Amino acid sequence: MSLGLLAPVGLWALAALALPLLVHLVRREEQKPTAFAALRWLAARLKPRQKLRFDEWLLLALRLLLVAGLALLLAQPVLHGAGAPAPWLVVMPGADTRQAPALPEDAERRWLAPGFPPITEAMPSPPVATASLLRELDAMLPSGTALTVLATERFDGADGEPPRLSRRVDWRVVDGAPAEAKRAAEPPFSLAVRHAGDDTPGLRYLRAAALAWTPDAATAPDIAPDIAPVDAALAADTRHLAWLAPGPLPPSVLAWVDAGGRALIVADAEWPLPQRGQPAWQDARGEPRAQRAALGKGMVVQLVVPLSPAALPELLEPGFPDTLRHLLQAPPPAPQRAAAAAYAPQPGGPGFPETPRELATPLLWLLLGLFALERWLATGRRQVGA
Amino acid sequence: MPGPDFIPAAVRARLKDLRLAGRRAVGGHGFGQHPSRSRGAGLEFAQYRAYEPGDELRQIDWKLYARSDRFFVREAERDSPLTAWVVIDATASMGQGDAARAGWTRLDAARALAACVFELALRQGDYFGLAVINGDGLRLVPSGAGPRQRDRCLLELQAARPTGRWPEAARLRPLWERALAGQLVVLLSDDFDDEVVAMAEKLSAARREVLNVQLLTAEERDFPFRGGHRFRDPESGQELLSDGVAARSDFLARFAAAREALGLRLAAAGVRRVEYFLDQPLDLPLRRLFAPLASERT
Repeated sequence: MSLGLLAPVGLWALAALALPLLVHLVRREEQKPTAFAALRWLAARLKPRQKLRFDEWLLLALRLLLVAGLALLLAQPVLHGAGAPAPWLVVMPGADTRQAPALPEDAERRWLAPGFPPITEAMPSPPVATASLLRELDAMLPSGTALTVLATERFDGADGEPPRLSRRVDWRVVDGAPAEAKRAAEPPFSLAVRHAGDDTPGLRYLRAAALAWTPDAATAPDIAPDIAPVDAALAADTRHLAWLAPGPLPPSVLAWVDAGGRALIVADAEWPLPQRGQPAWQDARGEPRAQRAALGKGMVVQLVVPLSPAALPELLEPGFPDTLRHLLQAPPPAPQRAAAAAYAPQPGGPGFPETPRELATPLLWLLLGLFALERWLATGRRQVGA
Repeated sequence: MPGPDFIPAAVRARLKDLRLAGRRAVGGHGFGQHPSRSRGAGLEFAQYRAYEPGDELRQIDWKLYARSDRFFVREAERDSPLTAWVVIDATASMGQGDAARAGWTRLDAARALAACVFELALRQGDYFGLAVINGDGLRLVPSGAGPRQRDRCLLELQAARPTGRWPEAARLRPLWERALAGQLVVLLSDDFDDEVVAMAEKLSAARREVLNVQLLTAEERDFPFRGGHRFRDPESGQELLSDGVAARSDFLARFAAAREALGLRLAAAGVRRVEYFLDQPLDLPLRRLFAPLASERT
């Protein structure tokens, strides 16, 4: 435990210590009026003062302390490594807290959830990034704090590898299951196409791709994919769209993209965003084929070459529908569920410098108390006014 | 302030064994506890005198008749009540008190002492009166006896305020007319005014028994001042700048000499004087004044 200063330049304010010294050095006009009837027998004796003399030692000391404290406050004192930290117990939502090990009375008991709410509060809602929270907690706690985790047998929120933490964690797997996070099943990929007319160049390739992704195309060929001119409205469940008309996108389509739709537009359509897109597709030689940018919750992908086999030979390749799907469909979420027994955090991770404890607030209260004491001393009944 | 009658309970309890008495003052008329010049039935034999018609037969000393064949009447001294006057100096200097005990001034002490004297007189059935003298002149309560007289005096005490300087002698004439020879005068003052001392001397010369309690503050005895002070005389308004520590020894020596000179002067005039400092118990000066003589102690 050591004291540090965040802004040592504030100690220059210690020069203000001269102020109370000067105030107390100033010779007061010592003429306290006193009623005294036996004046007849009193002689005028004024004793000159030759040497320096400070009046009111206690008050002077108090004022010096006050000024020094203010200078220290300006220097922003902090305390490194304050105290022996209490052990922490974090509980995954859904874990059975009755199986928690016996811990001291002053142990911190928290949920493993964003903000680490106390366990006395309601159980937080399920989708929590467990591994990330463990790393955050490890970075936040002082290095000496013992950490116990109550893990459910399976949990969500795992990521690539078991977290490597700077401390050894008491990893307890207990009964209990996380509340299931509701996740709608991903519907199969389908593509809607809007074109400027039946003679739109490249329409046949996109029609073929849309047909390829229509699930019942082989068994029920009368179920046609949604291929229509530009003025046809989009179906409610449309999620992917190919826009083959030149010129600007109509506002209805832009609103649809903003609400989560993903649109592929051709090169001669107008780029609807103020910023430039990121490269989204390159051919084997690294030539750009498409750029993309997010708009609201959705995405706009624009081909940078004309939609013709001459400029885009991939149109003729058998893998074009797959390429198109990768270009448009959002990547599926990574698997997050892990078995707790296999996911115990490993020690040996990087340590983090501990956040020092700010001392400004207690110092401020101390100074306020000193100031009140100083005022009381300075204005109370005394022999000599100061 | 300890109640409407100025006497703290502890002091009142200690007043029990005190007795108001003068050494020269004698009782007037009526029945009381003090020796007087009136003749009558009593224990102390005074004289024989010749029988006059109208004397009661039982007063005739028959044994003397048997020896001398004349009628003589045996007379004794009669014990009579005393008249005690309390004269309070209420000039501005009496408003001074100690810093150590704020709100307790010389005048407060004088009030309490006067109330004690009234209490003693009331208990013994003596007559008592009050004179308060300040810059406004003389306030007089004519002598009387009884609880109502005491209440009148306490009311007058309550109204007394320390103001002004000692008035000229002409304004004190009513006091001379009321306080007669042979009566007791208790003078409560700080004795800083020469006129007060002169009046005490004159009263004593005119056969009033004068008892003087000089009321002094503890500051005048100890001079505890430190640092510079602007000392101000409340009566004259005169001011003096002085350093407390430097002036202390000189003041104490001069003030002690002045008090001693005053004591000698008053003693020469036949005035008994005691000093009372404001931090002393109230009954101390009364005890010194009214302590029984060695011959009176039993």
